Amino acid sequence: MKVRDIVRRAGRSLRQAKARTLLTSLAISVGAFTVTVALAAGAGTQSYTDSLIKNNGDARNLSVFPKLDDGENKTPKEYGVASESSTKGVLSDKDVEKIKNIAGISEVTPVYNINISYMTRGGDAKKYEADISIKADQRELPLAAGSLADNKVAEGSIVVPEDYLGVLGFDSASDAIGKSFTLHFEKQQLFTGAVAEGKDQTYTIAAVDKKGSVLQYSAALRISPADGKKIYEFEKPSASQGNAYFGVDARVAQSADLTTVKQAVKDAGYSVFSLQDIQEALFQFINVVQWGAAGFGFLAILASVFGIINTQYISVLERTQQIGLMKALGARRRDVGRLFRYEAAWVGFLGGAIGTGLALLTGLLNPVIASALALEPGTKLLLFNPITSIVLIVSLMIIAVLAGYFPSRKAAKLDPIEALRTE
Amino acid sequence: MIEVRHITKTYGKKQNIFVALDNVSFTIPDGASVAILGKSGSGKSTLMHAMSGLDRPEQGEVVVNGQNILKLSSKQIDNFRAHQMGFVFQSFFVQANETCAENVSLPLEIAGVNERERDRKIEAALEAVELIDKKKSRARDLSGGQKQRLAIARAIVNDPKILFADEPTGNLDTVTGAVIENLLFDYNKKKGITLIIVTHDSELAAKCDMRIHIKDGKIEHIEQRKENA
Repeated sequence: MKVRDIVRRAGRSLRQAKARTLLTSLAISVGAFTVTVALAAGAGTQSYTDSLIKNNGDARNLSVFPKLDDGENKTPKEYGVASESSTKGVLSDKDVEKIKNIAGISEVTPVYNINISYMTRGGDAKKYEADISIKADQRELPLAAGSLADNKVAEGSIVVPEDYLGVLGFDSASDAIGKSFTLHFEKQQLFTGAVAEGKDQTYTIAAVDKKGSVLQYSAALRISPADGKKIYEFEKPSASQGNAYFGVDARVAQSADLTTVKQAVKDAGYSVFSLQDIQEALFQFINVVQWGAAGFGFLAILASVFGIINTQYISVLERTQQIGLMKALGARRRDVGRLFRYEAAWVGFLGGAIGTGLALLTGLLNPVIASALALEPGTKLLLFNPITSIVLIVSLMIIAVLAGYFPSRKAAKLDPIEALRTE
Repeated sequence: MIEVRHITKTYGKKQNIFVALDNVSFTIPDGASVAILGKSGSGKSTLMHAMSGLDRPEQGEVVVNGQNILKLSSKQIDNFRAHQMGFVFQSFFVQANETCAENVSLPLEIAGVNERERDRKIEAALEAVELIDKKKSRARDLSGGQKQRLAIARAIVNDPKILFADEPTGNLDTVTGAVIENLLFDYNKKKGITLIIVTHDSELAAKCDMRIHIKDGKIEHIEQRKENA
């Protein structure tokens, strides 16, 4: 028999048992739906996270910290012998120099630990407490007004968060641009902590930043590393004391390979973090969740396999006469087996098509999901890949054919004489 | 010409052995109409199965046009049935959900006849049994006699050389039965094919050229009707 004729007959038999065909394929479609949605959600989340990280960070920035004691290397150190790298939990200028000399590092900025007493617009204006940070990286800040060349804060300039504008008495973000702004710093005495000396520093507001689509945002005043260094040196209790930093921001040159440089810094005896690490950790998490959900789908498909086997067995029993007749008329065993396998394939196709079809419809919910999670409008957390859907449907057809193997073999083996015995 | 030589078919094993056919031999000339007569359980159906290659007796030969079909591979014998034989059954075995055309199409599909030729043959066969106006009707809507006519159309659609009919009128009343009989004999005469009817109806058998009486798996006697006008 020609394949086309068998496929057509298979389709016809299924149409004649519409309810049964539909119910069996619905069982498969549950699995297909779950798998498709899980994969779409995984892909969507991954792409969203990807864009989020790109918008939010400077991928070429490495945060370098003193090597953390991982608790594994417990060989006691000899007293009085200087160890190669800093183990006191801080980095010294020597470390900064060492990191700067690592191939591929173009720039190193220490993370200066500075504190601010208050901020004010000067004169009789009220004084407010505030957080301050030094912008050492070149990641893009979402700005409400003003501009930053190269995403850097120039010396003598300051970036003020939008949240501060109200209390400071600015009418709007653009109103603040170009205005002068004073910060007060205090130098504390060693041991007693008493204020030894105060200092006002005046800056020009270069930009106003706002909360954008960022992973984490903290409202803080942002100044340049150069200004930060000045304040750090002022606030340091004793000038004779060596500089100590919590960490440094190291910039990887455009031409250098991020992973190689990172490893080089690590090998030099430091702990390194970069956006890459966050990205990897996030993706790993997304993957686990995605495949967990898909796993449920695969279980549903597995369960539906037994449905196919059962239905096909019943179908063989019901159609004993038809099978007998076909064989009496000279149909080959192979033809009869194929007829039932193709029916199973049709059921698999139908189930896959219904499942993925319904899953694609959930894509219409993307705007709803985005607004429910307060994401930017237009964000698609469900991303469907047509190739995945095709692969899934084809796999389901193959699975269905495999499930139909035993029933089809039973049909093929049927003795026509027995099948046609009516009395 | 069909030659059946010393065929023996048994069922069961050792103590429970049952001899369905016991050393049966006869020869059927081409174009003859033959009745295989016997009571139920006499072995007449087994004989038909053996002659059509559906069943394989332990011993003996069935030589059709010089070829022992019992020596053929299963593929060859399937092919032989698809191209050379037609079957009509007591219970029709038409597919109720399919249209008449689809029912008649089955043997052509099995034989691998191409589609253009198929349509022509289906129409000719339905024409022959006067069911052409029911071509698109579902078989379930047909009466018993129409169903058997449809079954005959299906049996003759691929121009078989041998037509087997197993109690073709067993489920029909006398009037419709007579129509079916006429169809079969007409076809037998017109096309010169061999018609083999398995029956226990002696009236039907009387219309055949040759009657093979079977009892307990053995041939009781064979009657030949002399050619007369």
